[in-house]
Amino acid sequence: MITSFEWTLPRGTVIKGKWKRNSYRVERLLGEGANGKVFLVERQRSWYAMKIGADTVDLQSEVNVLQSIAKQRKGSRAEPYLVEVDDMRALDGKEYPFYIMRYIRGATLSDYLMKQGMDWFPVVGYSLLGKLAELHDGGWTFSDVKVENVMVADYGRVELVDYGGVTAMGKSVRQFTEIYDRGYWNAGSRTADARYDLFSFGVLCIQLHESQRLAQLTASLLPQNRMPEELLKLAHANPRLKPLTGWLRQALNGEFKDAREAAGSWRQWMHRPGQRHATPAPSWMKGLFVASAALLATTIYWLLNS
Amino acid sequence: MKQILLITDGCSNVGVSPVVAAAQALAEGITVNVVGVLDQGDLGEFGSAEIEEVARAGGGLSRLVNTRQLAQTVQMLTRKTVAQTIQQAVHRELQQVLGTSSIESLPPDKRGEVVRVIDELGETSKLRVALLIDGSASMKPKLHAVEEAIRDLALSLQARQGQSEIAVFHFPGSAYGDDCTLDLDWTTNVGGMTQFLPRLQMKGTTPTGPALMHVIDFYRKADYGNRKNDETDGMMSDYVV
Repeated sequence: MITSFEWTLPRGTVIKGKWKRNSYRVERLLGEGANGKVFLVERQRSWYAMKIGADTVDLQSEVNVLQSIAKQRKGSRAEPYLVEVDDMRALDGKEYPFYIMRYIRGATLSDYLMKQGMDWFPVVGYSLLGKLAELHDGGWTFSDVKVENVMVADYGRVELVDYGGVTAMGKSVRQFTEIYDRGYWNAGSRTADARYDLFSFGVLCIQLHESQRLAQLTASLLPQNRMPEELLKLAHANPRLKPLTGWLRQALNGEFKDAREAAGSWRQWMHRPGQRHATPAPSWMKGLFVASAALLATTIYWLLNS
Repeated sequence: MKQILLITDGCSNVGVSPVVAAAQALAEGITVNVVGVLDQGDLGEFGSAEIEEVARAGGGLSRLVNTRQLAQTVQMLTRKTVAQTIQQAVHRELQQVLGTSSIESLPPDKRGEVVRVIDELGETSKLRVALLIDGSASMKPKLHAVEEAIRDLALSLQARQGQSEIAVFHFPGSAYGDDCTLDLDWTTNVGGMTQFLPRLQMKGTTPTGPALMHVIDFYRKADYGNRKNDETDGMMSDYVV
């Protein structure tokens, strides 16, 4: 349930931080999370993403997580994610907290695959598993893994967005979306562990290929009949997902030890024999073959007759 | 922390006003949340006004939803109320220690530590939620969804690190003259149970107020029983009365 505010900021609005006095010019709305809105903003000719929160404690809690992750990654090559934290005054006269983060240029996962083609799915999936494994190494789960929270930049490079759900392992998951939730499918607890994210990842794979059938399924199933087996049936019926059913079964039943093991198994699936020739020859190739055969026949006929 | 979550679809019509009962609950340290369930038609102006007022008197929140959103709403209200209760306690502390009454008035660099404490308490403090279900005739087709929402809530509470328990009541009571009946005593797990609310036809009245009083009394008795051999309410008992 979204507990956000109603207003938005028109293009060109200048926001000045209450404490640090830095100004940002609003370009457009990038997205809406469970507890705030994210805008694309500009400051000194650099682009940033600005998340404005509806609730100070909620947003600060998210900032705390981002700061802990940044501290853990100090010394690594990763670019800093969090840039600044401040408050602003909106037109309704109230003060709202915001933070500034690195702007991730890219498309949402489903847009990307729609535009670039499903051939990118295995690579992007592998890259996403890597991102999750990185987060898990630090003792966190992402928790709210879903299509909307995965951005893809050029060449299938993946970034997770909306850290509002990130939870320390062993605690109760802070934010989730029903159809991606392990508890909703009667497949386990809502305690944060690596397998919780892998479950959501499994649902995400199905969502990407069979979004309509998945929506129908969730609308028609009785609560007590929601089970991973039902999700696997959808996967099995889809030609692209069918070879992945074994992997999905392990993810949805919590059989992978962690995201690294899941990624390793994913990689094997990517490189399995036959995968590279899985797609039928394109029609232009068939056309070329027919043309060259015809040419050969003509040549032979001509040679024999001369 | 103690909460009552009232799930209803109409107006009370007998006994003490539920607004008075909710105010009494708050006075005894129990927050009252109210969810109004509407599927066909609406609650009417009077019903929705009552729902809002009961929650306000009980220091809690209210929402009007259809059965599809019920599970999510119940979960969200409980979580929000836990956060709110702790924030109120922390605000009092802030006032004493720093002379400021809100987290918002602290500069962002100073908020981190306070919020860390709030998050930690929200996860680890002991929590009890008594669910009070309106079982009048018009609610009958919705009881499936209500049970589902209760199961979902129990699942979320089980994931907390702190001890969390729920109890379930419905009203009007099954026996003649009872305002309200206990269906499920304090428990942490409703996993295997598929149906715990009775489907029998009950009396036509909706004694929301008396039922609330009954639950407050139930809490009072539980506290009395606990005081003798249980001092493990932890640090929250210092904060939340």
